[in-house]
Amino acid sequence: MSSTPLDAAEAPAAMSTRSPGRAAWLRLRRDRTALASGIVSAFLVVVALAAPLIGVAYGIHPQDTFQEDLDRFGLPYGVAGGVTGTHWFGLEPGQGRDLFIQMVYGMRTSLGIAFAAALMTTMVGVLLGIVAGYLGGWVDAVINWVTDVTLALPFLIFTLAVIRPIELHFYGPREAVPGSFRVIVLITVFTAFGWTTTARLVRGQVLSLREREFVEAARASGARLGRVLFRELLPNLGAPILVAFSLSIPAYITGEAALSFLGIGMLEPTPDFGRTIFRSLNYLQTDPAYVLFPGVTIFVLVLAFNLFGDALRDALDPKSLR
Amino acid sequence: MGFFLLRRVLLGALTLFAVSIVTFAMFFALPRDPATAMCPKNCDAQRLERVRAELGLNDPKPKQYLRYMSGVFVGRENCPAPCLGYSYVNNEPVSQTIGRVVPVTLSIVIPASVLWLALGIGLGMLSALRRGTVFDRLAIGFSLSGASMQLYFVGGVLLLVFVYTFKVLPYPHYTPLLDDPLAWCTALVLPWCTLAFLFSAVYARLSRAQMLETMSEDFVRTAMAKGLRQRTVVRRHVLRAAITPLVTAAGLDVGTALGGTVITETTFGFRGLGRTAIDAVRDGDLPTIMGTVLLASAFIVVANIVVDALYTTIDPRIRLR
Amino acid sequence: MRRRLMTAVALVPLVAALGACTNNKKGDDEPAVDTNRQATGAIASDPKDSMGPAPEVPGAAKGGTVTILRQSKISHLDPQRTYSFAGLNASQLFVRRLTNFKDDGKGHVTLVGDLATTPGTDVNKDCKVWQFTIKDGVKFEDGSPITAKDVAYGIARSFDLSLTGGPTYIQEWLADTPQFDTKFDFKNNKSSLPPGLSVPDDKTLKLTFNKAHCDLPFAASLPATAPVPAAKDTGTQYDQKPVASGPYKITKNEAGTQITFERNTAWDPATDAVRHQYPDSFVWQFGADPVTQTNRILADSGADQGAASWDGVDPSLISKVMGDPALKDRIIQEPTPQHYTLTINNQRVTDLKVRQALNYAIDRDGLIKTLGGSSLAAPVTTLMPPSTIGWKNYDAYPAGKTGDPAKAKELLGGTTKDLVLGFQDDATNQALSTQLKGNLEKAGFKITLKAIPADSFLDETKKKDNPWDMYIGSWGADWPSGAAILPVLYDGRAIKADGSNNGASYLNAPALNAEFDRVLAMPTDQQGAEWAKLDEKIMREYAPVVPLYVQVTTTVHGSKAGGLFIDSIFGNLAFSNAYVKQ
Repeated sequence: MSSTPLDAAEAPAAMSTRSPGRAAWLRLRRDRTALASGIVSAFLVVVALAAPLIGVAYGIHPQDTFQEDLDRFGLPYGVAGGVTGTHWFGLEPGQGRDLFIQMVYGMRTSLGIAFAAALMTTMVGVLLGIVAGYLGGWVDAVINWVTDVTLALPFLIFTLAVIRPIELHFYGPREAVPGSFRVIVLITVFTAFGWTTTARLVRGQVLSLREREFVEAARASGARLGRVLFRELLPNLGAPILVAFSLSIPAYITGEAALSFLGIGMLEPTPDFGRTIFRSLNYLQTDPAYVLFPGVTIFVLVLAFNLFGDALRDALDPKSLR
Repeated sequence: MGFFLLRRVLLGALTLFAVSIVTFAMFFALPRDPATAMCPKNCDAQRLERVRAELGLNDPKPKQYLRYMSGVFVGRENCPAPCLGYSYVNNEPVSQTIGRVVPVTLSIVIPASVLWLALGIGLGMLSALRRGTVFDRLAIGFSLSGASMQLYFVGGVLLLVFVYTFKVLPYPHYTPLLDDPLAWCTALVLPWCTLAFLFSAVYARLSRAQMLETMSEDFVRTAMAKGLRQRTVVRRHVLRAAITPLVTAAGLDVGTALGGTVITETTFGFRGLGRTAIDAVRDGDLPTIMGTVLLASAFIVVANIVVDALYTTIDPRIRLR
Repeated sequence: MRRRLMTAVALVPLVAALGACTNNKKGDDEPAVDTNRQATGAIASDPKDSMGPAPEVPGAAKGGTVTILRQSKISHLDPQRTYSFAGLNASQLFVRRLTNFKDDGKGHVTLVGDLATTPGTDVNKDCKVWQFTIKDGVKFEDGSPITAKDVAYGIARSFDLSLTGGPTYIQEWLADTPQFDTKFDFKNNKSSLPPGLSVPDDKTLKLTFNKAHCDLPFAASLPATAPVPAAKDTGTQYDQKPVASGPYKITKNEAGTQITFERNTAWDPATDAVRHQYPDSFVWQFGADPVTQTNRILADSGADQGAASWDGVDPSLISKVMGDPALKDRIIQEPTPQHYTLTINNQRVTDLKVRQALNYAIDRDGLIKTLGGSSLAAPVTTLMPPSTIGWKNYDAYPAGKTGDPAKAKELLGGTTKDLVLGFQDDATNQALSTQLKGNLEKAGFKITLKAIPADSFLDETKKKDNPWDMYIGSWGADWPSGAAILPVLYDGRAIKADGSNNGASYLNAPALNAEFDRVLAMPTDQQGAEWAKLDEKIMREYAPVVPLYVQVTTTVHGSKAGGLFIDSIFGNLAFSNAYVKQ
C-alpha cells in the first residue's frame, strides 16, 4: 500500500504488509550499534579472507624472521615492541616475526574455525532439534538422552586425548601434518560437543510451534514428514537459529583461544590468535606492546560479533522492542 | 514426584554408564603406554614387557573395563568400594587423589557461582526493568566487555596488579577452609572475582533478554492493565516465568564447573579436579582419568536432575510427563 | 552506544600505561655468561676428607623454612627409583649414599665417602672388586644404625621390576647384562643378595664385577646406593615416605602438591662432609609455572622471601630480572652440563657431507634468541659440555654466529636435501623447530616438521627404526667425565632395537668403538685429556650431530634465602648449604 516503506512512523498500517525479514532489516539499519558492529565484523572478515593479498601488499610473510632486531634477551629493540614503518605492530620476541602479519593470518585461522564450527553445530543442532521436537515419543527420548550424555562428557579432556592419535593415524611418521588438518579436527570436536545448545533451543521452539494451525493444516493436506519439517517449520525457526549462529561465533573464537592455552590449539608454524595471546601474557611486564596488540584485537573482534548478534536478535524479535 | 525422581535417577545412571564406556574406549586409542611412564631413561623392550605384565595391561580391553567397573561397585583387594583404581603415576589410590582435589574445586566453584548468579541475574533483571537508563547502558557495557574477554587474560592481569605489583593479596595458595578460613578466603578471592566477572557478564545478558521477553508477554500486560504496580507484577509473575531458562543454564554451568575449571586452576596455580584430569591425560594415567571423568559427569547429571526437579516448583506451566 | 564503547575502550589506556612506550635502545650488550670455565674433579683418597662436619657457611643461621617452587612434581621419592634432576637433588636432603660430591658450585668437585669412610677401595687394582667400609655413627631417622646390610638391601631391591625408574648402572654391572632382573629375582629372594654383592660383616660392603668398571665410585654417588631398612620396605608404597638417613626427613607428602621435610635429629653432622642442617624445614611446592615462580619470588612477600625457583627465570621475564640492579644478589646464574644437540639419525642420513653441511648451516645466535637469550643458553661447538673435566674448545665447522649458508650449499653440491625433523609438541620445541626450519632452509635444505607427542618423544626417538632424520637431543652426564658422555652416546655396540639408545644418533663406527675401549681402560685421572681429543676426532671424522648449546641456569631466590648454589654435576639448585637469613 505505501510507496515509501522506509518511514515506519508515518503509516503504521503499512507495517503489516511488510515481510518480517524486511522489517527486521529496517530495524537493523536504524540501530547505530548494529551498524557499527556490523561494519567492524565485516571488515575483520574481509581482512581474514584477504590475508594473502595483504601479505603481498605489506611485503612481509608470517614466517619471515628479523632476529637481528632483537636484543640479547630476544626482545625487540625500539619503542612499543619494535613498531616502525615497516613493522606496524612490531616484532614477536624470541623468533622475531612481524606481529601485524601474524595477526592478520591468525585472524584467518580463528575466524575460519569459528565460522565453520558455528555452521556445522547449527546444522547438526537444527536437524536433531527439529526431529526430536516434531516426532516426539521415543525418538525424542533417545535424542534427549544422547544430548545428556554429550553434555556429561568432558570436552577438554576428550579433545586433549584425541587430537594427537587422530593425527598420527592419518599421517605417516615422516609426513608433516598440514595446519588445515588440525583445523578440521578442531571443527569436528567443536561440532561433536557443541550441537546440544542449538538442538535444545530448536526443540523447544518446535514444541511450541507444532500445535499451531499452519502445521496442522499442512499435515491435513497430506504433506509428507520432510515437507512439514523443512518447508513449514524451518522457516519459522529462522530467527532463533540465525541469532544462535551469530552468537556462537564469538564463543568459538574464545573457545579456540582457550584450547591454545592448554596447548591443543593450532601448532606452529600456523599463525594463531589464541597461541599468540597466550604466549604474550607472559611478556606483560617486559614487552607490553606484545600483549596489547593481539589482546585489543581479539577483544574488538569478539565484542563486534557479540554486539552484532545482540542487535540481530533485537531486530528479529519484535517483542523485545518496546 | 517420587516416580519422576526415580526415572531421572535411572536415566542419569544410564548416562554415567555410557560416559564410562566412551571414556574407557577413547583412552585405549591413546598410544601412550603407562608402562613406559615407569621406565624413563634406561628401559628396553623386554623389561618393558615384564613391567606391563606386572600392571595387568596385557588382558583384553573388555576384561580390564569390567574389572574396573566392578571395582567401583564392590571394591577390590586393598580398595573398598567405591574403588576408582590405583594410579601408578601418583602412587596412590585414585579415590585418595580425588578426595584431595575435590575440595579445591568446590572451594573455587561454589562461592564463585553464588557470586556470579547473584550479580549476573540481579544486574540483568534490574537493567531490564530500567531499560534505556544510564544504569542499563552501563550494565550492558559491563556484560559485553566481560563476555568478550578471555579468562586467562583477566586472571593474568589481576594477578599482576594485585599480587605482584601492589602486593595487596598474597599469592593464591590453597588452604583448606577448616584449617584457616581467612587464608582460605584471601587465596580464593582472585579466582572468585575472575570467574564472577566473566560469568556474571554472560548471565546479565541472558537474564536481561529473558526478562524483556517475559515482560512483553500478554499476561504481564494484563496484570499491568489491571492496575498492579510494576514491582508486584515482577515479583509475583515475571520472575517465575523468566527464571526457568536461567535455571537450566545455571544448572549446566555450575555442574560443568564442578567438574573442573581447568583454565582458572591453571592460571592461579590451584590443583583441583580439572588440573588433575588434564595431567592424567598427559601422563596416560587411565584410572585417574576414569575417576575424574566419572565424578565430573556425575556432577553434571546430578545438576540436571536438580534443575528438572526445581522446574516444577518454579513454573507450574510445565507439565511433568 | 557511545557509553558502551567507552567502557570497553577504557581498558586500553590501562594496558598501555604499563609502559608499552619505553624505548629498548640498541646499546652495548653486556658479555654473556662465561661458560668456558675450567672444571676439575678429583677423588679424595684421604679418609679425613670424607669425615664431617662440613665447613660452616659464612653468614648462615639456624632456623626458617626454605621453599622450592617447581612446576612438575617429583615423580619418585623412593631412592632406588629416583632419576630426575629434582628427585636427585631433593634426595640429598633425606637420603645418604655410599659416596657424594663436595661441590663449590663453580665446577670444582671432589668425590668423598658419604656413608662409606672413603670413595671405595679397588681391592685388586683391576677395577673389578670394590670394597666400602660403612662409617660409625650413621643412623636412620628412628635412631637405628645403618649397616652394610641396609645398603646391600637397597641395591638388591632395585633389581625388582615393579620398582623401576632409577639408574641401572650397578645392577647391570653386577649381573653383567642389561637384563639384570633375569639374573636375580628380588620378589622371591628378599633375604638374599644379587650376584657379586656381598656383606662380609656389618660394616663392609663388597661388589665384584666380571668386567672392569673404574667409574664405580661415581656411580655409587647416585641414590641407588641409599640404605633401606628391610623391615620398613613397603614396595611401591615406599615412594610415599622413604626412611630418612640424611639431615631431613619427610613429614608430610601431599602427592603432586607439596612435600614437607623437617629436621632429622638422628643425623650426625660429624659423619657428613658435605651437608648442613641450618633451616628447620624445606618445603617443595609444585604446580606453579616458571612465570608464576619468577613473579612470586620477585614480589618477595611472606613465605616467598625464603623461596627459590627450581625451573629458573622464564624467558619472558629474563630482561626484567637481569635489568634490575636491586635483584643482583638474588640471582644465581651458572652454566650447566646440560648439552643440547641437533641429533642426526646416522642410519638415515648416511652422507657425511650432508651432516657437515648441517653443521655449517646452523644459526646458533638466532636459536638462542628464540630460547630467550644468552642468560639461558650458551652456544657450543663440541660434543662434551665445557664443564666436563679436561674439556678443550674447538670448532670443527666454523659457522660464525649466524651460520654459513654458502658453505653449506657448497657441501650439498647445489642440490636440495629433504630432511624430516621430529620435535616434541610443547611450546618451546614448537618455536625451536620452526626457527630451525627457517634457518636450515636458507642453506639449501627442505625441512619437514613432524610433531611428536611430548610424553612419548624420548621413547619414540630411542627406537632404532625411528622414521625421523633429525631431532633435538639433550644429555646430562651422571658424572662430569667424558666416560659418562662419549661412549654412552656414540658407541655403536650399545645400539639395541629400542629402549636404551641414549643420544639416538645411531652412529656405529668400529674404529671409534675400539677407541672408546682404549680410553676406558686408562686410569681415571688420565682420561680427561684423551676424551677431549676423542671429542674433536668424532666431530671432524663423523659429525654425528650438530652441537647447539649448553643450558645456562638463571634463577632467583627470595631476599632471605641464602647458601643456594647450582650444582656442578647436573646444573640445578643444590641445598646442602642452604639457610634462611634471620
